[in-house]
Amino acid sequence: MQYTWKIGGEAGFGIMTTGLLFSKIAVRRGYDIFDFVEYPSLIRGGHNAYEVVVSDEPVTALKKEIDVLVCLNKETFDLHKHRLAPQAKIIFDPEVFTPEGDIIPIPVPFTAILQELAGQVIMKNTIALGASLAVMGADLTELNSIFAKQFAKKGEAVISLNQQFAQKGFDAVVQENKTHIVSIVGEKEHEKKLVLNGNEAFSYGAVVADCKFYCAYPMTPASSVLTTLAAWGKKTSMVVRHAEDEIAVINSALGASFAGARSAVGSSGGGFALMVEAISMSGITELPIVIFLSQRPGPATGMPTWTEQGDLMFAVHAGHGEFPKIVLAPGDHSEMIELTMKAFDLADIYQVPVIVMSDMLLSEVHMSISYDKTQTLIKKHTPNRGKLITSADETYLRYAVTEDGVSPRLVPGESRTFYQTNSYEHLENGHTTESDVERIKQVDKRARKVKTYLANHFLPPIVVGDIEKAITVFVGWGSTKGVASEAVKKAKGMGKEIAYIHFTHLFPLDKTAIQKVFSDATKKYILVENNSEGQLGKLLQMETGIAFEHTLLRYDGRALVVEQLLEKI
Amino acid sequence: MSTVQDFTGYKPTWCPGCGNWGIGMALKTAFVEMGLNPSSVLLSFGIGCSGNMNDFVNGYAMHGLHGRAIATAIGMKLANHKLPVCAIVGDGDCYGEGGNHFLHACRGNHDIKVIIHDNRVYGLTTGQVAPTAEKGQVSKSTPSGIIEVPVDPIALAITQGATFVAQTFAGDIKHMTETIQKAFKHTGFAVVNVLQPCVTFEKKSTYQYYMKHIYKLDTNYDAANKIAALEKAFEIGEEKFPLGVIYESNRKAYHQEAVADDAISLINQPPFQDFDALAEEFL
Repeated sequence: MQYTWKIGGEAGFGIMTTGLLFSKIAVRRGYDIFDFVEYPSLIRGGHNAYEVVVSDEPVTALKKEIDVLVCLNKETFDLHKHRLAPQAKIIFDPEVFTPEGDIIPIPVPFTAILQELAGQVIMKNTIALGASLAVMGADLTELNSIFAKQFAKKGEAVISLNQQFAQKGFDAVVQENKTHIVSIVGEKEHEKKLVLNGNEAFSYGAVVADCKFYCAYPMTPASSVLTTLAAWGKKTSMVVRHAEDEIAVINSALGASFAGARSAVGSSGGGFALMVEAISMSGITELPIVIFLSQRPGPATGMPTWTEQGDLMFAVHAGHGEFPKIVLAPGDHSEMIELTMKAFDLADIYQVPVIVMSDMLLSEVHMSISYDKTQTLIKKHTPNRGKLITSADETYLRYAVTEDGVSPRLVPGESRTFYQTNSYEHLENGHTTESDVERIKQVDKRARKVKTYLANHFLPPIVVGDIEKAITVFVGWGSTKGVASEAVKKAKGMGKEIAYIHFTHLFPLDKTAIQKVFSDATKKYILVENNSEGQLGKLLQMETGIAFEHTLLRYDGRALVVEQLLEKI
Repeated sequence: MSTVQDFTGYKPTWCPGCGNWGIGMALKTAFVEMGLNPSSVLLSFGIGCSGNMNDFVNGYAMHGLHGRAIATAIGMKLANHKLPVCAIVGDGDCYGEGGNHFLHACRGNHDIKVIIHDNRVYGLTTGQVAPTAEKGQVSKSTPSGIIEVPVDPIALAITQGATFVAQTFAGDIKHMTETIQKAFKHTGFAVVNVLQPCVTFEKKSTYQYYMKHIYKLDTNYDAANKIAALEKAFEIGEEKFPLGVIYESNRKAYHQEAVADDAISLINQPPFQDFDALAEEFL
């Protein structure tokens, strides 16, 4: 079962909060969710919408048709009616407009309720939640307890007022439209689940990894990592700094990294572009840093609140000069937590910049993931700081030439020695050099880290579905995993086996390991990406010689949908 | 007890007569007199003739990117506020390429000491104008004379919120040494603008020029008076350069508000473990 509930209204009136509450209630009642918010790049004015797919099994993509549409204004109906399922239920205010078509109208007297309880316009959301829960066969237990917790500090009167609005919305449905109630979120047996978005998953992973310093400048869609970590700062003791620009951001983080603190930064493409010189510095100084890059459609300011996977080649090539760097790309929120923890370890183990890639879609959608599995995974995790040392004598060499390419890195403060970390080419002791011999030694030393990484930490792509039986095989990375996994499931339901090859460790790539995955010439490999150039395809061709004849590329700022993949089978 | 020799690294590559020699000596002397040693100080170097001091002065140092030494120093201080942090930068570094960082570091009152080599010219790139160059100065990049008026470093620092603003002269090692020590004693963002002749590329601002145009502030000068301090700063327009602590005030340093426990540096804070409490927010 998959059922889509969607709410829309004027931007700035609490749609996002309402949508998230709906998601959390559905999950508390035992269902899985996948939700998505649409908003223009404005603070107020314009149209906001939030849609939640509710399912009785894990769900990783949106569905084509909307089953329940809550219209806080007429525009919502006009903008989304083309996606309505036959006999979709429309919750609306009869004083504002009357929807027409092959629908089931569920009038709720929003205006009248607001007048009766003397409420502000924003309370329409609460009425809408009450009505929605009624339509979908739930009661108000969870919502009432959320209100009790959320408004505990504001007192009983505020809690009770909110509960009354929800009750009025609920009653309007139960009393006047009882026949239209469907049992979609009736309570069922379930395991405890977390509802979080990709940015929260990164933030959570960063805390677990014992990141001590996070620095950023706000940029959609990466900003909520900054605000989430800042909000947790008092609890976690992480220093979270909103600096003056992205250049300051990454240089501060590298200063903190030099002093011994695990450090990370985050931005979207434009801010990341400003960090590029310092990424190169991380390469030559061999200072660990984790960079969270949440993509949005570019170039330049592009389409700030929409989605694209347009920065893969940029991330791979970011930084002048030649130096090793690792690029990881999670495909869902569990992978985000896991790969974030790994990113901090890899940064320390190899003393390189590690880029964790996301996009607007992955950063902002909420998914439900297992509480127990997640908590077990994170509690098992012990940060690995590689060759970081806190004691050394006067013979210490910061850039000692080693077989694996990694030199012991001393936390400044040891009293028997001192050293400099240097953005100029340097001798083993860190002093500046222009010697040809020493230059080659250091270039080769740094390059050896790539071999060590490929042998020890690189992971080949994950396969979703039964690749033995599948003829059509999609190939992608990042947030595409969600829609591709859903396509594999749906195809199976239609009696067709397809598979999806999902890359998480995007750079550097192990040629031999990857060529093995693509060894069957009888299969039809289709590159599927949220960009116009097929950047993973280019990267694979460059690094492994694998070329794709078939592609499915979407670059209108919108996420890929399951039907687009199914059409290609 | 350390010695100047302990702080002495490789042989400098500066031009004979360059003001950097004096600044390097004053810095090392100040370190010794303050009881520091190369293992107990964090240094952040920019890029330029000034930044090249990284190879000549010993310490736990980072030779970073042009313009970014202050940003880097801020990260060092927040990660380990137990160690003193000093940024050694040039005028192009600090007021040009890194102008934005300077401005916001003043606001943030980060507890770092910034020693700015103000020689009005770009030495390492062989003689283009710096942001402190006088209007009309002819250089390789401004053959008809620079159009802009110079940055006023002292006024800029005071108005943007720096809590310690001093000026000294590369020809007076004793005064530099004392001023640097005062900067280190101050908790907060300390700006030390060092007037420095470039004997190779800047023919006006020579040692002789500065000897005529500098003067030391009176012993009864009140550095707490912001308006008086600004008046001193504006004297640059009349080619008068006051030496000494021009402005000093007290405000909590950034790390004193940002780091959870003043007694423990960030790098030594125990790892956060209460993951279930954070997970509550996602239920």
